[in-house]
Amino acid sequence: MSYTLQYGQIWPYLPFLLDGALLSLQIAFLAFCGGLFIGTLGAAGKTFGGPIVKRLINVYVVFLTNTPQLVQIYFLYFALPDVGILLSSYVAVLIGMTLNAGAYLTEIQRAGFESVRQTEMEAAETLGFSRAQQIRYVIMPHVARVLFPPLSNHYILMTLGTSMAAIFGVEELTGRAFNVNAETFRSIEVFSVTALMYIVITVAATAILAVIGRVLLRARMRII
Amino acid sequence: MPRLDIVDLKAAYGSLTVLDGITVSVGSGKVLGLIGPSGSGKSTILRVLVGLLKPAAGRVLLDDVEVRYSNAGDVKRVRDQLAIVFQQYNLFQNMNVLDNVTIAPVKIRGRSRGEVEQDARELLAKVGLADKLKSYPDELSGGQQQRVAIARALALKPEILLLDEITAALDPELVSEVLDTIRVLASEGMTMLIVSHEMGFIREVSSKVAFMADGKVVEMGAPAQIFDAPSEERTRDFVSKILRH
Ligand SMILES: Nc1ncnc2c1ncn2[C@@H]1O[C@H](COP(=O)(O)OP(=O)(O)OP(=O)(O)O)[C@@H](O)[C@H]1O
Ligand SMILES: [Mg+2]
Repeated sequence: MSYTLQYGQIWPYLPFLLDGALLSLQIAFLAFCGGLFIGTLGAAGKTFGGPIVKRLINVYVVFLTNTPQLVQIYFLYFALPDVGILLSSYVAVLIGMTLNAGAYLTEIQRAGFESVRQTEMEAAETLGFSRAQQIRYVIMPHVARVLFPPLSNHYILMTLGTSMAAIFGVEELTGRAFNVNAETFRSIEVFSVTALMYIVITVAATAILAVIGRVLLRARMRII
Repeated sequence: MPRLDIVDLKAAYGSLTVLDGITVSVGSGKVLGLIGPSGSGKSTILRVLVGLLKPAAGRVLLDDVEVRYSNAGDVKRVRDQLAIVFQQYNLFQNMNVLDNVTIAPVKIRGRSRGEVEQDARELLAKVGLADKLKSYPDELSGGQQQRVAIARALALKPEILLLDEITAALDPELVSEVLDTIRVLASEGMTMLIVSHEMGFIREVSSKVAFMADGKVVEMGAPAQIFDAPSEERTRDFVSKILRH
């Protein structure tokens, strides 16, 4: 068996693939932000809410962290039309990933909220801090520092997870790679270049996040 | 002048009565040493004084004015005048040494940063940490952290300082550096309430010592009396046991 690598053939498709990579980044970013919003509410509800609120949030978290994300998106894309809700593939993927992230980020952030040291709060209280000042000066900086590394990790995972959008025909990086492959039949070249693009994206994101975390929050993070 | 009177104070955690009628007082510039077995309620007295636990009964008088702990204004006033240092230092982990010391005077009291920083540098120099201003708590030894906590308490210029087992979490070789700091404060006339198991130290710095057991003050008197000639059986037991160690 001999196979001659011909990267030249897919060279013209590079801008097309890069464009797809931008869409991947966009999906990951939007879903992460949405998930962060849900996760903050969820974690606050689980930490400070009443029993019914806690129960409801639990149901949400258990359902979404114990079913495959693919099934969740299939549900949005194929099952919802049966009850009259039609979503485009892009929207279905975005909503699916947002809801999924919301569940995971609820759990991650709750752990951060709970790691606030009661003793530090008491010290703040006896120094005369009001409740709002305790949140502002003690809780928030602590939570940000503790949560930044796991949130960064989840963001990286989500970036890679966007590739499942290809299944629904969304033309993000993987979807476009699939199309280029169908046109050129240079599978090794197409998918190795695609893999390399994912690596560059995640390694760059990891490094940037680690620098931000270390400089701004004194978080313990390795820069690659 | 700061003077603190505690009259028949009672406090409970749920149904567990922890303070069962405590009456003690500290005069201006005096040091009251609180000793007693574990669980006797020493820490609880300090927690009630700074408003972390509401008293169930009894009175606390600060300069002859009663403190109503159910009244937010009174609690604020008492926190302006009393400062507490905890056994576990409880420094703000996300702030460096200088910020730990300056945050309350600047953000809570609204004093000018320049002036507060000047004071903080002096205080930190006094506790031997002039070269650690930019360090974070997790970069310091236990003894250093405890001295930062003392400086943080002093930065609010309290009239009375409450110290709860401030050397208990320290390695023996670090204890003396913290105790030296307190000795200086005592000699400068700081009014203090000190809970400690360091009997030699308590004896040396206290004007008066109260021995507690089961939420009550069993015996109170001059250090020489409590340590050399206790009149109560329980005091004698405790003192002889602890001094033998
Ligand atoms: N947060 C709490 N909830 C319930 N009970 C508590 C709490 N804190 C203390 N207690 C109980 O109150 C009693 C007095 O505790 P306190 O901490 O005042 O004792 P102490 O004299 O300071 O003891 P030690 O020398 O061990 O520090 C103990 O029986 C303790 O178990
Ligand atoms: Mg105690």
